[in-house]
Amino acid sequence: MSDTATAHHEDGHKSLIIDNKKLLMWLFLGSDCMFFGTLISTHLIYRKINPTEIDPTVNLFSLELTSFSTFILLMSSFLMALAVSAMHKGQIKSFRRNVIGVIFFGLIFLGCQVYEFTEFVHLGLKLDTGTFGSTFYLMTGTHGVHVAIGIFWLICMYFYSYTGKMDAHESAVDVEVAGLYWHFVDIVWIIIFTVVYLIEFIGK
Amino acid sequence: MSQADYNPLPVSPAVDHSGENEKYHVFVNLALVLAAITGVELVLVYLPFNKAFIFTVLVSLSMFKFVAVIAWFMHLIYDKLMLTLAFGTGLVIAAGTYTALLFLFSTDYVAPHEIPGIIPPGM
Repeated sequence: MSDTATAHHEDGHKSLIIDNKKLLMWLFLGSDCMFFGTLISTHLIYRKINPTEIDPTVNLFSLELTSFSTFILLMSSFLMALAVSAMHKGQIKSFRRNVIGVIFFGLIFLGCQVYEFTEFVHLGLKLDTGTFGSTFYLMTGTHGVHVAIGIFWLICMYFYSYTGKMDAHESAVDVEVAGLYWHFVDIVWIIIFTVVYLIEFIGK
Repeated sequence: MSQADYNPLPVSPAVDHSGENEKYHVFVNLALVLAAITGVELVLVYLPFNKAFIFTVLVSLSMFKFVAVIAWFMHLIYDKLMLTLAFGTGLVIAAGTYTALLFLFSTDYVAPHEIPGIIPPGM
């Protein structure tokens, strides 16, 4: 038997040379794409068939704040990529530094979203304020919940790194899987930022 | 504090990390490009250009950011094709859902009062 085949025999949870955890995460992200796809589609369709319901560019959307949130989330993705890279090299201290950065940026993003929602409610846009309010809060709120879950996951990983139970290979895969989730949250926001916020401002 | 706070994780000395070091520069460059694109997008919507042109540029930039994060930050270009297929399937279905809904709820075929949640004017 070749070395590669023997290695696969020994490592029972691997199949087709792809780590099962990674494959499962990618499949989950594929299904989450469909989930967010329907949420974003619903918002856009209602926006198209009912364009005069509300003009969010007038005293509602703050493009500067949303751009700042987008920038923060992109930078958190960058730090997450560095955290995964550090884990692959077995550099636990570097991993912790980067993960703390990701958590910090994630909390800033959530803070911005809470501030934005509070402002919108004060301005009269609530969950039951027509189809715009319903679809907007459902879509961005679901994304916010994903961010919160990601932050919780990373906080757990951060504290787990102090137990001394992490090993270079297994933990690198675990961190990579958490990283995939975090990057996914980022790419969903890239789409929401463009199709929900930026496009509303064209020609205003 | 435990010993694990200070010591790096045990890794085999035979492991070559040159690939990871190369990735570091890729990640830094990509982060700069993504930040710059976000700035460009913000400025672009206020410019007095043709709407269709700005729309096309915004969607293109967004697609670039989307693909770049997936390809490099999520390591998809370094990973197996099966992972691309696993994710791509979901992505295609999501895009298909939007396209199908766009046709199904096209105002050319459906009157506004037939759509749930829409109250026609005067009612």
